[in-house]
Amino acid sequence: MKDRIFKISLFAAAVVILLLTAGILYALVGKSLEVFNEYGVWGFVSNAEWDPRAATEEYGALSFIMGTIYTAFFALLLCIPFSLPVALFTGEYFKGKRIASIVSSIVDLLAGIPSIVYGLWGFYALRPVVIALGVNAQGFGVFLASIVLAVMIIPYASSLSSEFLSMVPNNLKEGAYSLGATRIEVIQKVSIPIAGSGIVASYILALGRALGETMAVTMLIGNTNNIPAGLRGTGNTMASVIANQFGEADGLKLSALIAIGLLLFIITAIINLIAKLIMKKLSAA
Amino acid sequence: MKKAVLCLLIPMLLFSCGRLSSDKTKSGGVTISGAGATFPYPFYNIVFRDYMSLNDNIVVNYGAIGSGGGIRSLRDKSVDFGASDAFLTDRELESMNAPVIHIPTCMGGIVMAYTLSGVDSLRLTGSLISDIYLGNITRWNDYRIAAINPNVKLPDLEITPVYRSDGSGTTFNFSEYLCDVSPEWKKVMGMGKALKWDVGIAAKGNPGVAGIVQQTEGAIGYIGSEYSLTLGLPVAQLKNKAGNFVSASLESISAASKIQFPDDMRASIINVDNPDAYPMSIFTWLIVYQELNDGNHTEVQAQELVKLLSYIISPEGQQVAARINYAPLSEQAIEKTKALIGKITYNGEVLIPYTEDSTKTSLNTHLTTDTLYNER
Amino acid sequence: MTNNVSTSTTGVKRRIVKDKMAYAFICIFAFLAMVPLFLILWEVVSKGYKNFNFRLFTEVAPSSMDAMFARVNGEPIPGGILNGITGTILIVGLAIFFTIPLGLYIGIYLSENSEKRFSKIISFLTDLLQGIPSIVIGIIAYAWVVKPLGSYSALAGSVALSIMMLPMIVRSTEETLKMLPRAYKEAGLALGSSYTNVVFRILLPSGFGGIFTGILLAISRVMGETAPLMLTALGASLVNWNIFEPTSSIPLLIWEFYNDPNLIDLIWSSSLLLLIVIFVLNWIAKIVARKWKI
Repeated sequence: MKDRIFKISLFAAAVVILLLTAGILYALVGKSLEVFNEYGVWGFVSNAEWDPRAATEEYGALSFIMGTIYTAFFALLLCIPFSLPVALFTGEYFKGKRIASIVSSIVDLLAGIPSIVYGLWGFYALRPVVIALGVNAQGFGVFLASIVLAVMIIPYASSLSSEFLSMVPNNLKEGAYSLGATRIEVIQKVSIPIAGSGIVASYILALGRALGETMAVTMLIGNTNNIPAGLRGTGNTMASVIANQFGEADGLKLSALIAIGLLLFIITAIINLIAKLIMKKLSAA
Repeated sequence: MKKAVLCLLIPMLLFSCGRLSSDKTKSGGVTISGAGATFPYPFYNIVFRDYMSLNDNIVVNYGAIGSGGGIRSLRDKSVDFGASDAFLTDRELESMNAPVIHIPTCMGGIVMAYTLSGVDSLRLTGSLISDIYLGNITRWNDYRIAAINPNVKLPDLEITPVYRSDGSGTTFNFSEYLCDVSPEWKKVMGMGKALKWDVGIAAKGNPGVAGIVQQTEGAIGYIGSEYSLTLGLPVAQLKNKAGNFVSASLESISAASKIQFPDDMRASIINVDNPDAYPMSIFTWLIVYQELNDGNHTEVQAQELVKLLSYIISPEGQQVAARINYAPLSEQAIEKTKALIGKITYNGEVLIPYTEDSTKTSLNTHLTTDTLYNER
Repeated sequence: MTNNVSTSTTGVKRRIVKDKMAYAFICIFAFLAMVPLFLILWEVVSKGYKNFNFRLFTEVAPSSMDAMFARVNGEPIPGGILNGITGTILIVGLAIFFTIPLGLYIGIYLSENSEKRFSKIISFLTDLLQGIPSIVIGIIAYAWVVKPLGSYSALAGSVALSIMMLPMIVRSTEETLKMLPRAYKEAGLALGSSYTNVVFRILLPSGFGGIFTGILLAISRVMGETAPLMLTALGASLVNWNIFEPTSSIPLLIWEFYNDPNLIDLIWSSSLLLLIVIFVLNWIAKIVARKWKI
């Protein structure tokens, strides 16, 4: 009897997840309808105008979608030359050694630093450097935000890739060594091809992370409602525009911001889903 | 099994305990919460704290989230009062579902603060500001700026205009001023708590703009005068309607308020005719519902809210305004505001009735503005 | 012939040089990846230690004006972040309360029924929840709690943090329990224990290390969250223990200080405190994970 109750309560707990997801979708979709009815989904997504003035009110998400894409992809690009060596260092060259665990735990600590502290660091330490480099006059913008984002996602990209690298069977590598291959050739020809899709998956996950990052980006990107004029330009990401304007938005604008939240939710869900599918395929193989 | 049930029960129990204890604190004291404008935040911060130290059982909580946020929070009834530097338009009034009352609390000036090494005095006109924020003037040594600053050595540096990322009464007043002086601004940008900007960078709240201006060489931003004072940021003298270049001071802001106010106190003192007036002088308001019994308020809360409002416009409250670089309300404004407070009801009953001949505490006899201003 | 050999030896040399260079490149860049951590720590510690004192824990955040007067007089900024510390304890504490029992139950369910179609769906949804950006969770908690209750509140903040913590705790519980040898459970059942007892007396205690580590990491992860709290808890200038009232938290205060140039000196000491708490939690998690390894 009591086992029965226990089992039922376990099941009930699991149902909570279902309800939670349904509730999240319901809240996001329900509140987005107003703006989608006004402009249509495509009309909202493809419009770069964000004009909150009462007389000419008009909301489109394109500027923020572009801002998000610029920062996230540039951050991903910037992080590869650092996260890949970390992964190779810990998952290949010094696999299982003490130095590897030291390096990986130090890099993992980067994941523990709160976003707002990254923002402070970007503002006070990196911004003067960016100004000195002559990127733009005031330092804020996609470039600065991306650098900080890149540092933030290094641990996410490297720890998973390292795991996949360390799972490459030893006998395959030994086979290559016995044929006279050097270490880097083994990595190029054996490890990376085998762990490749796992590494790609970990970078996709890191990208998902970068897309939704809020505080650090809000503090550094300049918060202008336009499509960034390249890496030197300022802009807003989907997350940062919500952080900036949600507190006072109302009516159609509130609905537009929630719709941007819904889009962000869908984009990150798809990205995570792709990564998980790749990893599932790997673990099944 | 017991444990399983316990695991579920304990959180529920504790949760309900939390509920109980919270009810208890509520009956012991009264919490009044408000949200809105960042412009008068330093003023409210001190006034509310003074008020709390006078009244042990009252907690006043103020969230400086911007005027737009204050009005929305009031409409959502998630706060007891909203605060705004822009009065509600007739359209906005309709959207509030119930009649609201504007209580002016003090006056202040919006200043153009800048960071430019070697330049500690600068003159600007409304149309120059408009050109800077429209992107027509992009460098500090532009001839148009140099023309009215003959004795200033302006550097060859990019201008970084800074504006508000959140909906703001400060932005509203700033744009109202520029609409008044620049036809191009009126046509391109218009007036509002949030605008569609093409140049510059954005920051959150008055202090946010002040911080970015301070940290960025070549930046200029519009902020409440106390923020520039606080940070020692240089500010520009502005040309007023009469053609004089004026700094924001208690005198020049008070001069702007020498106009006839409407009974509901929804008045603008931007760019008035008075030759001594600072052109970007503004009122700031607390906004409350006229009828406070909306289901969210107890009668005690309503009474305390009204007492708080009366305190702010009392001589004690207004002294604080003068002390920290806001301008106190004029006598006429205070009388009209008292009448407004006399309209606030709970269940249709007036909470603090207004009597015309109630001891007329003339503020200006209490404190000569000059002495107070020089105190700091 | 000789020619051939010599080219192949230079080829080998080139390959070895390439190998060495790759090795050096990887080592250098792996170490460079660690540099930002030390730069950030340096920034926070060197600027924060001055104001890192007893007052930080005993006084609430100062008003901008008080800080200004102190600055003008050349005194250190008065006040601390007591309202943030208590707020973080309240909000995170509530979130722990909501999520731990629920997360454990869901984790147990998933590990016990991993083959069922329903639990595959739940597992998938857990992954989905884990990927939601924190700002979106803030919107949800706003819609669920702030709007209906008519007030920003600690409760709303903790609901947001709970949604973030839940998937992490579910995952760590599930994975830990799955790693336990089947024999544990079978032996318990064979001895005539009820299923409930087996779970609570055998499985959970043996998986304690992994589960507890997961909980600690989840806590340390949400502790520094700012964005969802901006939309839900709002912040407060005083200590507040009422879960239905607006409440501050350490990261919210850092955000306020950041936006107010008068309070800049407090940014770093509060960040320092936040980093210390988070790193200590991480460190304990590591020790627990090592000590209680299955």
